[in-house]
Amino acid sequence: MKKYFYELTYIINPVLEEDQFKEAVDKVNKLIDDNDGEVVEIDEWGVRKLAYEMDGKRNGYFVNLYFEAPASAIEVIERNMRISDEIMRYLTLKYDSKMLKHYELKKKGELPSVIDDVEEESEESED
Amino acid sequence: MIKNPSHPKKGHLKTKECRFTKAGFVYIDYKNVDTLERFVNDQGKILPRRVTGTSAKFQRQLNKAIRRARFLGLLPYVAENIR
Repeated sequence: MKKYFYELTYIINPVLEEDQFKEAVDKVNKLIDDNDGEVVEIDEWGVRKLAYEMDGKRNGYFVNLYFEAPASAIEVIERNMRISDEIMRYLTLKYDSKMLKHYELKKKGELPSVIDDVEEESEESED
Repeated sequence: MIKNPSHPKKGHLKTKECRFTKAGFVYIDYKNVDTLERFVNDQGKILPRRVTGTSAKFQRQLNKAIRRARFLGLLPYVAENIR
């Protein structure tokens, strides 16, 4: 079965205890493994303030991970996450060639960034 | 930008450049909140192309990235207005 590269970000309910976060993360990882998937990279952002209130909560525990899995696994993973009480929100993205290129650049730490405003202003004063 | 040499606005207006093209972006990531924030006004609205000078290609990507960031609570849908 052909495997694709995916990115998944999800928010865990911040009301839980420390070890419960770990439990929830392990549960998702196990879910991916069980469905012929393979976790490539996992990055826990920790508790972060939300830009707006989500289900009456101002914070959320963010987990961002990259994995390879066959397309059929996504349906199962998403269904389980939807049912799960701990997970407030999730976003799965399938990576295309451009996004993969971006991912590689990010790993190398060569990501381009937008030019600073300060520089912009000096350009304006020139004319 | 303005071809007519006698146009009163000639010389005042500067041609805008797409900042993403200039910086050599491949893909605009929704996790890059610091960058996205600069293309949003204080109300949290996405700034139009005519203001920022972003190319059509990257404006589409930018919109997508901002909407994803909003969904995950990284950016506000509506920012609170403190008066």
